[in-house]
Amino acid sequence: MSGYSLGIEKIDELIGEIRSGSNIMMIGPPMSGKDDIINTIIYNGIKDENSVIFVSTREPGERVLEWFKQNDQDTFDAHIGIVDCVTKTLGMVASDTEYIKRASSPVDLTGIGVKISQFFEEFLMKKNIPNTRLCINSLSTILMYSNIQTVFRFLHVFTGRVKSANALGIYVVEDEMHDPQTIATLKQLFDGMIEIKSNGDGFAMRIVGFTPKPTPWFNYEIDGMNIILQESE
Amino acid sequence: MIQTGITKLDDYLMGGIPDGKSLVYYSHPGVEGNVFGMQTLYHNLAEGKKCVFVASSSDPSMIKDMFKEFGWDLDAYDENLIVVDAYSGLVGATSNEKYVVENPESIDLLNESIEKVMEELDENSTIMFESLSTIMDLCGEKETIDAVKNWNLHGMLYEHVLIYNFTAWPYDSKTLDLIKHELFDAVITVGGIAERVIYGQYFGVLKTEWSDIELKSMLFRVLRPGGIRIYIPKIVVTGPYNAGKSTFVHALSTRAVSVDRIGTTVALDHGHVDHKGFSADIFGTPGQERFDPIIKMLSGEAMGIFLVVDSTNTKDFVRAKQMLEITKAYGLPLVVIANKQDQSGALKPEEIRSHFNIPENVQIMPTVADKGEGVFEAFEALVNKITEVV
Ligand SMILES: Nc1nc2c(ncn2[C@@H]2O[C@H](COP(=O)(O)OP(=O)(O)OP(=O)(O)O)[C@@H](O)[C@H]2O)c(=O)[nH]1
Ligand SMILES: [Mg+2]
Repeated sequence: MSGYSLGIEKIDELIGEIRSGSNIMMIGPPMSGKDDIINTIIYNGIKDENSVIFVSTREPGERVLEWFKQNDQDTFDAHIGIVDCVTKTLGMVASDTEYIKRASSPVDLTGIGVKISQFFEEFLMKKNIPNTRLCINSLSTILMYSNIQTVFRFLHVFTGRVKSANALGIYVVEDEMHDPQTIATLKQLFDGMIEIKSNGDGFAMRIVGFTPKPTPWFNYEIDGMNIILQESE
Repeated sequence: MIQTGITKLDDYLMGGIPDGKSLVYYSHPGVEGNVFGMQTLYHNLAEGKKCVFVASSSDPSMIKDMFKEFGWDLDAYDENLIVVDAYSGLVGATSNEKYVVENPESIDLLNESIEKVMEELDENSTIMFESLSTIMDLCGEKETIDAVKNWNLHGMLYEHVLIYNFTAWPYDSKTLDLIKHELFDAVITVGGIAERVIYGQYFGVLKTEWSDIELKSMLFRVLRPGGIRIYIPKIVVTGPYNAGKSTFVHALSTRAVSVDRIGTTVALDHGHVDHKGFSADIFGTPGQERFDPIIKMLSGEAMGIFLVVDSTNTKDFVRAKQMLEITKAYGLPLVVIANKQDQSGALKPEEIRSHFNIPENVQIMPTVADKGEGVFEAFEALVNKITEVV
């Protein structure tokens, strides 16, 4: 069972391979490019022949797929499964497709859980793909409708499933939207964090939890599928 | 009394759910327990009953769409389907339903609506809670438990049947124990078989107040369209050379393949059967003696066996008897197929029984496999045996 890399060059070197079964929280301020970063991590997974399960609470499934199509046509017979929590919430009728299963709403944690499990079964058991990345973008939307205890219970189950499936879990959280107690509660569930902060004109990131000390902060720029890090401070 | 509409479950419940009783589908996270409540609701609408859907995590305008996924068209039942909207208030949407819970996080408001709808219904009806766990998440565990007690009491009073879908997230263990053992008249557990990931689903009766049936777990799968099917992963079809095994497999199957050479099976036949709420994979063995190891291998994980004999060919009965012995060792449910009944000189099932010395508890079913006659009756006989209440 091989581990995982994020696809962000300097950071991958610093932290080494991420153990399979790990769960990571990505936390950062609005407009800091978290969507692009998570997409890059997914894209890197697809290149490594991982399968990807993507829970989207902010964009309809079709939009998520589009991003990949725009950025790279070739990856498109990738094993990607999107759990779309948006379309039905908007009252739009749309059936499931090969790549997209739709939950009723972000409140419908039962439905979201069923669909995640179905993709896990499809990728690991039916298609025999050993490595899977589960991304939830974002926990903050789910927390708008459900309280922290509820979300904690949900995550407790699914971080456990990630562990037993030897997958990699990445969960996006909006900074500044939640009280410190909520963040502290969530943190208990994760093996590490990708932290993002604003830094002068731009943003900087660092990884916590995979090396004895956090990595240094790196300013970064996003260029299509690439996260380009600048020298650390 | 109402039926759940789920194959076998009504048998396990001694016919269904008596009026005034409550039942919970208690599902482990990630398995499709929610379909159980939906199927029960649809079945009762189709029976002409009045039903209430308490929406907690879905927009009411999406409900019909949700059911359509399984091929269940609710349009014909507008008159009989009442929705309690305990969802729209949560996302700030306006509601068109008659019963609306303005603030779904308030157990008192929800309670009010549920009591009201139960009182106003003019006949005993089926009330289905889309997600009791969502109510619990929004209103609190203790508060919800108290409300459920009250709803079940009301149900008893007005003789409504209450059906709850519940996902067993890691709540307080006291809460889960109450739900499993005390709050409801019947508890159906819906679980997953997991190894790294969930790859199989089952349900079982954990408790019923009105019968003392022994717990039995059944595998199931969910078809879209179709809904819940009892799943039997392996039935083996065995029997002497040329008895009609491959023909039998093909006659039953919606799709089937055989690995044959010059008209005889050299590897195996595989077919898939979807019939009366059962979904089964069937495997035919080659008939010739040199393939006996394949029979042993195949029988290993089987749930039941068909032994096909050519009813005209008494000299093959020795071979058939030998194959019966091979498979009997596995202690599996078995049905004998008396095939080729159309041919002259075919022995009747009871004649075959005495030839073989087959005990009375083994059924012998007459068939004409190449015309498809009797094959589904035989299938029903075996799956009933496999799933019978012990
Ligand atoms: N008259 C009649 N012929 C049948 C019936 N069922 C099967 N047959 C014929 O019997 C022959 C053998 O049928 P198969 O289904 O190939 O038999 P099998 O048991 O799979 O044979 P092996 O795999 O070679 O052991 C074929 O010619 C069929 O058409 C039946 O009910 N009546
Ligand atoms: Mg054959």
